Amino acid sequence: MKIVVAVKQVPERDAVVRVAADGRGVDESDVAWTMNEPDAYALEEALQLKERAGEGEVVVLCAGPERVQSTLREALAKGADRAVHVVTPEAGEGSLGERDSLDVARLLAEAVRAEAADLVLTGLQSDDLGAGQTGVVMAELLGVPHATLVLHVELLDGGDGRRIKVKRELEDGWMQHVEMALPALLTIQSGGNRLRYATLMGIKRARQKEMREVQAAAAGKRVDEVVKVSPPTRVKRTEMLTGSADEVAAKLVERLRFEVKVL
Amino acid sequence: MIAGAVGMLRVGIELAEPLSFSVTERLLLMALIAASLGVFAWRSWPIASNILHSKKDADFSLRPVGRRAWKFFWEVLCQSKVIRQRPLPGLAHAFVFWGFLAFALVTLNHLAVGFGHGFLQYSGSFGPFYVGFAGIWAVLVAVSISGLFVRRFVVRPKWLGKRVSVESGVIAGLIFVLMVSYLAALFVGDKGFAARGLWWVHTLSLLVFLPLIPRTKHLHLLLSPLTVFLKRPQFSQIPKLEGDEDFGLFAGRDVTQIIALQAYSCVECGRCAEHCPATTTGKVLNPKKIVLEMRSYLNTAGPGSEEPLLDRPGSAMSMEAAFECTTCGACEFQCPVGVQHLSILIGLRRGAVNTGAWEDRYGTKLFLALEKQGNALGMSSIERDKFIAKQEFPIFDGSQEYCLWLGCMGSYDPKGREIVSDFARVMQALGVQFGVLKKEKCTGDPARRLGNDLLFGDLAAQGLKTFAAAKVTKIVTICPHCVRTIATDWLEYGVAPEIEHHSDFMARHAHLLPKQDGGSIVYHDPCYLGRYRDVYDEPRAVVAAAGELVEAERHHERSFCCGAGGGQAFLGEESGERVSHVRAKELIATGAQTIGTACPFCNSMFRDALGAVGGENPPQLLDIAQLVARGLAPRALSSDAEEKSG
Amino acid sequence: MNSNVLVVTETKGAGWHRMSFEALAAGQKLAAELGVGCSAAVMGEGAAIAPLAAELAAKRLDAVWAVGDALLAQYTADGWVAALEQLIAEAKPRYVVFPHTYQVRDYAPALATRLGEVLIGDVTTIRVADAQSGPVAGPIFGRQWLQGKLNAEYRHGNESGVCFVSVQAGSFRADAVAAGASEVKAFAPKMEAGKIRTKPGEAFREAAQTVDLSTAAVIVSVGRGIGEQENLKLVEELAAALGAELAASRPICDAGWLPMERQVGSSGQTVAPKLYLAVGISGAIQHLVGMKGAKTVIAINKDADAPIFEVADIGVVGDLFEVVPALTKAIRG
Repeated sequence: MKIVVAVKQVPERDAVVRVAADGRGVDESDVAWTMNEPDAYALEEALQLKERAGEGEVVVLCAGPERVQSTLREALAKGADRAVHVVTPEAGEGSLGERDSLDVARLLAEAVRAEAADLVLTGLQSDDLGAGQTGVVMAELLGVPHATLVLHVELLDGGDGRRIKVKRELEDGWMQHVEMALPALLTIQSGGNRLRYATLMGIKRARQKEMREVQAAAAGKRVDEVVKVSPPTRVKRTEMLTGSADEVAAKLVERLRFEVKVL
Repeated sequence: MIAGAVGMLRVGIELAEPLSFSVTERLLLMALIAASLGVFAWRSWPIASNILHSKKDADFSLRPVGRRAWKFFWEVLCQSKVIRQRPLPGLAHAFVFWGFLAFALVTLNHLAVGFGHGFLQYSGSFGPFYVGFAGIWAVLVAVSISGLFVRRFVVRPKWLGKRVSVESGVIAGLIFVLMVSYLAALFVGDKGFAARGLWWVHTLSLLVFLPLIPRTKHLHLLLSPLTVFLKRPQFSQIPKLEGDEDFGLFAGRDVTQIIALQAYSCVECGRCAEHCPATTTGKVLNPKKIVLEMRSYLNTAGPGSEEPLLDRPGSAMSMEAAFECTTCGACEFQCPVGVQHLSILIGLRRGAVNTGAWEDRYGTKLFLALEKQGNALGMSSIERDKFIAKQEFPIFDGSQEYCLWLGCMGSYDPKGREIVSDFARVMQALGVQFGVLKKEKCTGDPARRLGNDLLFGDLAAQGLKTFAAAKVTKIVTICPHCVRTIATDWLEYGVAPEIEHHSDFMARHAHLLPKQDGGSIVYHDPCYLGRYRDVYDEPRAVVAAAGELVEAERHHERSFCCGAGGGQAFLGEESGERVSHVRAKELIATGAQTIGTACPFCNSMFRDALGAVGGENPPQLLDIAQLVARGLAPRALSSDAEEKSG
Repeated sequence: MNSNVLVVTETKGAGWHRMSFEALAAGQKLAAELGVGCSAAVMGEGAAIAPLAAELAAKRLDAVWAVGDALLAQYTADGWVAALEQLIAEAKPRYVVFPHTYQVRDYAPALATRLGEVLIGDVTTIRVADAQSGPVAGPIFGRQWLQGKLNAEYRHGNESGVCFVSVQAGSFRADAVAAGASEVKAFAPKMEAGKIRTKPGEAFREAAQTVDLSTAAVIVSVGRGIGEQENLKLVEELAAALGAELAASRPICDAGWLPMERQVGSSGQTVAPKLYLAVGISGAIQHLVGMKGAKTVIAINKDADAPIFEVADIGVVGDLFEVVPALTKAIRG
């Protein structure tokens, strides 16, 4: 069974991000990069799937400039067998920032098609743009069935791998099983597995693994446009509520309802 | 008896020896010697072979020879560790040891006599003197070995283990017979039948004793002097990994000659286990069993084996045990025969972590936090920025004398932040210029102790780069773990700027610190400051300026761990009793009004422990920097208020 | 008037998904500001959605599309995409507004792709005109980047296409939906069972063997400030009113007042709820590391210097024995 895991490289969670000079993107000059966390879970599920099946190949796929190779290496160190790097320019025309989610999904789908994968996994969404679409759009482009918010994948039919049953998350703590035939695409929800940590042995083995570079196709016309990016106006700081117990309670309820949105 | 021996010495005495031996006797003697040596060699060979066939220690160097010679003199010849820890049995053991040394010449002479070449002349002055001198030792040895025999077989202290080996009884008996037969020969006037009988009894005892040595704990007689001389020079030394296939102690092929030598040297005295915070609080780990299992692995699987070291069926050398160690180093410090438990335990962890064999919810979380957030607590570095801004700490720009390193606890732990802030006030009061780094990542201490070389190497390399870029020349910090890691462990990747612990810093300025009558303060030695760096007096000087210094039952080198080290602070709930509770109770038992700590991890462990075992009126818990700051300005410390509400 | 905004609602069981009306409010607002009409669609098996469609007809809408078919009885991405593709061809909306639910995230991107479009998802603001400068070039949709570190504004660039937008929970107030009257139009898409490639199972909840705080959306956590075990019921009642899981700091579990699996912190569980309400917790680091992933932290503590306030978004310095019962009462309203 061949599993392709599409991953994205995103700014580190704690990274201090600034708006780019043109006001329409992120200033990438001082950003530390890391593997998108939901994609790390997708990789983990792929590795565990391979381990459970006792055979197969995990190919990790990432689009972006030169820098994304560190993320691909990390995936190889954790156990992926091969890497495919869809090379895009660092900035300007054809760079990831200039493409919309449909276009990025096209790049990835193209690379997946070349691999003839049985299963494509990717994270539910990215920690940077948070669009949560790449997986579903890829499935549509590839013409394969999909499921989102998947926590666990099970191979049916005694493991010949032609059908799968997945456990996916619904809202409010409900779950659902969905069955489908392969090839298929799944977007993986964080937290379904325990991630593994990178090991010295993994890093050393990764040096011998293949990393194939593919030049990205030219960018299509964007369907949506990013007009403006700005830092949020309200800086998070502790707001102290005062008053009598009843007054405080009333203020809290107001917040719970309209800001925290849990009531 | 002693008085009698001394009397004899004064008059000059003679040992009763047979005047001549028949050919038959000599042949028999030769045959017996050959047999004894043969059995000895036959029993020793597999051990020697296992040690020699173990992996070479790539980093081994005899240098510094002077230090090695000193350790040999102090630990072997002076028996310092043996005596210090258990004075009475220790002294008894030392007498036996020194007696053996005294007897070396006597024994040589004894066998030479059998071939008609006895060299101790009783006509001169040396011969009678030496025989008498040895006689005194014979009395001391005989008394000591009897005492030790009673201890082992009648008193039976727990730490010697449940199973008492019959061989050690036999050997004690043989030693006793050797001594008594020697003493008897001093008193027997006749050189005939009695002398001959005693000579043979002595000889036979010797020849039976020799082949017993290799497969009993008495192997330490031969190996431990070598082990002590050859052991790694540093405390808790972690050797550099060599080549692409070295991941630490994963299988037999990774066991080095020094480890093998140490494993065979163990005398099973149990001092390591007696002082181990894990063993004594009911956890699986027992450092003595780890060493003995290493020996048994070498005996069964052999040195080149590919079989994993951990979790063999029924083995005490388990994954669980290896990861219960707090790396406090009490075991390594106590060991009288030079076994370095930490290199072994951390080596086993390296073998498990570097290959990914260790799977642990909390451990993985810790590693990922260090990987992603760069601190062990998994906090966002923005929290540190906010703290620095709030405290208005100056940013280090090269103009200040010191770089104040906050560490994870100083950056994120509310209590650690108070300690850092108070220490900053002390520095300001002393007029010392300092600055903090804009960004800090963990030194890699928990990764290092848990055996994650990839992560540790990354963090060490990044840290070195950060210091170099900021042009730091002197670092001071509140955390002994940071000090040890930066000063010692980072050496694998480069030389860091000079770093000192705030206790060193404050002790140097002790004359300028405010003199306070701060009541009684019991000082807790952090492992990473005390045993790891021999810093005992400096923090005490700081405490003494702040109040009346009180010592806990265990202190200095014998201090008991708080339970946080070796990554344990991050590894979730302990099995058995909590180490921190045991130590907190001990500190509370002194009746001191305040507990003084010098490590933010100890502080954090005791903070929790006091809540659980501190009773209605627990002692106050303050770092030494806070003790000093208390005398600077009448500012109420908020830690009291917190205890109430938390 | 041509209905240029179509709101696709979502059902749950026999009733509504609560975010349907938030999407409806957003759609009405967008339509009103653009000066166009708004219609809504409800999807499912014909008989089952009839009462829901009738309910929608009492809102200010141009039309209510009751999209019914036996194959829509249970949600599948293929079914929904096929049905909506046909509905869009029929109704010809310029804007399609969804609630940003799990279900929408499962099919809306595929639907957009089929039409060569891109979903502008998880939108928190919709702006048609600026207060000062007047109308802007096309509606501007605001959404967050990098978990709220940046705000990004999007515009739909394909003038001749359909603009797909999903709105974030809580961004639009369901009670703002305007009432009115409209007609229900039954729409029967051509559905083929063979084109539905996934076989969904029934929804289920996992048997809770141990308390799993890590997935809880709301957590009320209690610390040493509670004083005595009997006082715990105050917090239990608050948790019940909020529909929250109850958690505690280590001293509470150490004392045996709550089971160990309810401990949050370095030696307990790590949680990431939407709301973490800390009651009488001072905020030792061991505790903070377990709850730092919480989206919003509210702390109630009598000590104004307690470190928990450093990480709290909203703080109340006060006596928990007064504040907690008052809050419980106010929530129950």
